[in-house]
Amino acid sequence: MKNFAYGRVSSVEEAVDRATGDRNAVYIAGGTNLVDRLKAFLDEPTQLLDISRLEMKRIEPTPEGGFRIGALVTNTDLANHAEVRRQYPLLSRAILAGASQQIRNMATVGGNLMQRTRCPYYYDTAFACNKRQPDTGCPAIDGVNRTHAILGASERCVAVNPSDMSVALAALDAIVEVQGEQGQREIPLVDFHRLPGNTPDRDTNLESGELITAITLPALSFAQSGVYLKLRDRASYAFALVSVAAALELSGDQIRNARIALGGVAHKPWRASEAEAFLQGKTAEQSTFEQAADMALQDAQPLSYNGFKVDLSRRAIRRALAVSARGGGIA
Amino acid sequence: MNQIIGPSVSRKDGRAKVTGTATYGAEHQLPDLVHGYLITAKIAHGRILNIDTEAVARSPGVIAVFTHENMPRVFAPANDWANAQIYETRLPLADDRVHYAGQIIGLVVADTLERARDAAHSAPVEYQTDAVLVEADKAIYEDSPPWFGEDFQFQEGTFETGDFAAATAGAAVAIEATYTTETELNAPMEPHALVAHWQTNDSITIYEPTQWVRVSQGTYAELFGLPTERVRVVSPYVGGAFGSKAFPWPHGILCVAVARELQRPLKVVVSRRQMTANTGHRSQTEQTVRLATNETGQLIAIEHTARTCTSPVEVFSEPCTAITPVMYATPNLKLGQELAVLNVGTPTFMRAPGEAPGMFALESAMDELAWELGLDPVELRLRNETQAHQRRRRPFSTKNFADCLRTGAETFGWSQRQMQPRSQQQGDRLVGWGMAAATFPGLRGAATAKVRLLPDETAHVLTSANDMGTGAYTMIAITAAETLGLLVENIQVEIGDSIMPDGGLAGGSQMTATLAPAVVNACQAVLERANAETAQQAFASLQASGRAAYEATGSAAPGEEGTQFAFQSWGAHFCEVTVDEEIARLQITRWVAVMDVGRVVNAKAAASQIRGGIIMGIGSALMEECHFDPASGHPVVYDLATYHFPAHADIPRIEVTFVGEPDLNFNPLGVRGAGEIGIMGVAPAVANAVYHATGKRIRNLPILPNKLL
Repeated sequence: MKNFAYGRVSSVEEAVDRATGDRNAVYIAGGTNLVDRLKAFLDEPTQLLDISRLEMKRIEPTPEGGFRIGALVTNTDLANHAEVRRQYPLLSRAILAGASQQIRNMATVGGNLMQRTRCPYYYDTAFACNKRQPDTGCPAIDGVNRTHAILGASERCVAVNPSDMSVALAALDAIVEVQGEQGQREIPLVDFHRLPGNTPDRDTNLESGELITAITLPALSFAQSGVYLKLRDRASYAFALVSVAAALELSGDQIRNARIALGGVAHKPWRASEAEAFLQGKTAEQSTFEQAADMALQDAQPLSYNGFKVDLSRRAIRRALAVSARGGGIA
Repeated sequence: MNQIIGPSVSRKDGRAKVTGTATYGAEHQLPDLVHGYLITAKIAHGRILNIDTEAVARSPGVIAVFTHENMPRVFAPANDWANAQIYETRLPLADDRVHYAGQIIGLVVADTLERARDAAHSAPVEYQTDAVLVEADKAIYEDSPPWFGEDFQFQEGTFETGDFAAATAGAAVAIEATYTTETELNAPMEPHALVAHWQTNDSITIYEPTQWVRVSQGTYAELFGLPTERVRVVSPYVGGAFGSKAFPWPHGILCVAVARELQRPLKVVVSRRQMTANTGHRSQTEQTVRLATNETGQLIAIEHTARTCTSPVEVFSEPCTAITPVMYATPNLKLGQELAVLNVGTPTFMRAPGEAPGMFALESAMDELAWELGLDPVELRLRNETQAHQRRRRPFSTKNFADCLRTGAETFGWSQRQMQPRSQQQGDRLVGWGMAAATFPGLRGAATAKVRLLPDETAHVLTSANDMGTGAYTMIAITAAETLGLLVENIQVEIGDSIMPDGGLAGGSQMTATLAPAVVNACQAVLERANAETAQQAFASLQASGRAAYEATGSAAPGEEGTQFAFQSWGAHFCEVTVDEEIARLQITRWVAVMDVGRVVNAKAAASQIRGGIIMGIGSALMEECHFDPASGHPVVYDLATYHFPAHADIPRIEVTFVGEPDLNFNPLGVRGAGEIGIMGVAPAVANAVYHATGKRIRNLPILPNKLL
C-alpha cells in the first residue's frame, strides 16, 4: 500500500471541492472494499477524504410515498429498517444476502454502489487487466471465467458487478442523488453503473469529484410482492453466480406490471426491460414466466466456463416470478 | 481409565484464545524487530534475468534485499522424516529458476511491514519465460515413486494380489468409474509466519507455529550447521495446520537465514495470497475404481488407480489408494499410483492425505455397485468386511465397523429409506439419503513428558508437543488429572517449546496415542519419586519438608505390537440432502456420524474434532477448489473469500456417537486418536445422497450448483 494523505471533511461542499479535478483523491466511508483494494495495490490514491461523519445517515419518508436514504446509512440499518422491510422486502433481503454481518455494519449504502468487481484477474496484479490498467488485456476471457459476465460484456472486460443491493435498487427504479462541483443531479440507478465497452476502467457515470448523497426509493404499490433470489456456491458469504430481484403487480391473475433485475451476470445490475414489457397484460402462469425468462437471456453470450449461468438465470427468473405471483416471500 | 468414553471437558486454552492472550508465532514482540516481505514470481516457469535490487533498496524504510544472488549459505538437511525434513527440497533462492507462479524469489527487509510490502511489490524483475503447464489433463503421468505411507514407511505405489483380470472375467456384476477431485488448499486460519531471533551467531530462538517442535528444531539445526540444542523452537499455539505446518517451508528457512545475516530479530508473515503457492495444497486427483462381485454382492476383485500431480521441485504423491486394502475383503486387489509434474507450488499433507480423496472414489464406487446389485449400501459393506489389512497381512487389533454401520443406520432411521432415486420429497424439494464408511490408520510415535508437583497442590506437565486446535492441552490435563487423582483445573500444561521433552508429532491424528501414555508414565514416575501413593500424599510431604517440587519424566513408545496387528479406526456417515432442482440449490439437512476410535479421552473435544472433519469434508464435497489460469499459471484463488469453505449456513446439526472398545494392543490407554477420521467418507456420503435425491451420479468434486443443472 502506498502512502496517502488522510483528511476528514466537514461538509459535502468541502468534500466535493477537494476531490474535484484530483484523480488521486477518493472518498472513504466504511472502507470495506476500498481498504482491501489498497492492500492489494489495486488503487493507489494519494488522498483519502473521510466523509463518514457527514450528516447523511437518515432514512426519511418522501412526500411522494417513497423513502430517501442517506448515503452514509449502513447496510445493516437499511436492511433492518422496519418500513423498508415491510414495504420493500426484496431490498432488505438483497442486502442481507450480501457480505457478512460485520461487513454490513461498516459498509454504507453509497459505498455499496461504489464497490468494484471481485474478478480474480482484476484483483491480482500478477495479471493484466483492462479495468485496472487500460489497454493491457483481459486474460479472463480465455481463462477461468466461471463467475464472469454473460450479458453486456465487451472484448475488453467480462467482469461482473458484485452488489446484491444494487440489483434490488435497479428493480425498484431507485434514483441516486449526487453532488458535484456543478451542483446536484439525479441519476437513475439503472444508469448509474456502466457497461464495460471500451472503458472498463470506469464502473459508474459519476463525474470527477461527484459524491453520492442519497438514494431515493419511489413509491411502488406492488413492492411488497418483491422477491430476491440469490444462487451461489455456498449458503452464505459468497457472491452471486446469478441473482434475481423481481416483483409483479397482479389484477386477478393478470399481470399489470413486472420488474426483473439480474445480478452476477453483467458489469452492472441488469434490468430485463423487454421481458417486463412482455409480461404486461399476460396471465401469471408458468409458461408466461418461461417465455419472459427466455426473453431476458436471449442476448446472452457465455464464455468457456459460464454457460451454465444462462440456464441458471432463466430458472431463477421463473422461480422469482412464480414466488412473486404468490405474493412474495422467500424464494 | 478403562471406560470407553472419557469426561466432557471444555478446552483449557479456550479462554486465552477468545480473549486474545494466546500468543501465536507472529505475535511475539521483540525489541529491534524488523519485517521481511516475500518477493514472489510473476511467471510460472522460466528464469530470473535481473532483479533491480538497487531500486528496491532505495524504497523508503528498506534495510536489506535478498535474492538468489546474495542468499546466505544454508545446508541441505537429511530429509529423513525423523530428525530433519523440509517440505520443498529445493532450498529458497537456490538459483535463478522459477518453477511455479508465486514462487519466492526474494525477501525485502524494512522497518515496517507496510514498507517492506510496498518495496517487495514494486521490485522490478525481468524474466525469461518458458512454457507453462498447470492443466492436469495435459500432463504426462509416470508411475508414482514410492510414497510416504503408513507407519512412516515408504510403500510402492503399485501393488497386486491375485489375478484381477481373470477374476473380473467371471464376475456376476462389475462396475468401473472414474472420479476427480480438484486442488484443495489447507487454508488454516493462522497464516504461516515466524519470528527468528538469533541471540548470537550460533544460537537462535524461532517463534513459529509447527506441528512437530522436535523435528522443526532438528531441521533448523541442520540447515544452519548448529548443534540441536542451540536452536529453540517456540510454538505454544498453532492456529490450524491440517498438515501444512509440520516442517519448515522456504519462507521459514529464508527468514532464519536473513535474520542471522542482519543480526536482528526478523518477522516474516506469508500473506494469504502467497500461501496459495508457498505453503502446500492437496493435489487434484483422477481415480478409476473397478469393482467386481458374485451374485450375492461378495467382492471378488478391486482395482483402484490414482493420478495426482506434484511440483517441479518436490515429489509428493497423494496416496489415494492407501485405504483400499483396508476397507473390503477381496482375493484380487490391484492398486496403482501415477504422478505428473505441473508448474504449481509443492503439494503436501492435507487432512487425511490421499485417504480423503481415495475414500471419495472407493465409497462412491461402492454406492454405484450397491445400486447395480439392488442391494442396500449398508448391507453391501457389511457383507464385504475384512478382518485383516490386506497389504500388510495383519489382523486388525480391534474393529467395530459393523457396529458403526448398524448404530448409524438406526440413529438415522435408514430403514425408512425409499430405495429408488427421486422417490423422497419434502414440499417441492427432492430429498436424498446417503451413507459412506470411514477409516483411518491408528498411528503412534514416541514421546516424553515431564511432570512437576508443587506445594500449592498443582501439577505441571511439560512437553514439546503442541496443540493446533485439536485439544492437546486439555487431553494432557485430563490424562494427568486421572492418573494423579486431581481435578483438571489443578493441572497446568505447558507445551510447544523445544526446551521441553520431546512430545512427538501433531499429525496423522496421533498426538493422543503418542503422548497420553507418556503423560501417564511421567505422573506415575513423579509419585514414585515422592514415595507417595497419591498426589495428595506427595503434596503433604512437600509441605512438610519445605521442598520446592517433585519432578520426574516419563516416556512411552510403540513396541513390537505393529508386527502382530494392524491398527485402524472406523466409522460411518449418514446424511440427508435436499435439492431444489429447478434452481440447483443443495442443502445438507442432517448428519449422523458413528465412530470407533478406541478409548475417547475427552468426549467433548473428540466429538468436536469429528464435527470439524465433517465440516471440512462438506467443504471438499460442495465447494473447495483452487484453479490455475491456464495461460499464466497463476492461481485465481487469492483469499478466504475466493477459496470457499463452508459457512455456518451450510452446516446442519451433526450428531456424533462413539462406539467400540479401548484398543489395548495399541497402547496401554487404548486410544487411537480422533482427528482425520472425521473427514473420511464425508464427500462420498454427500455425493451418494445427491444421487439418491436426484438420480445424478456426480463423480467430479466439488458438487457446485452448475453440476446439478
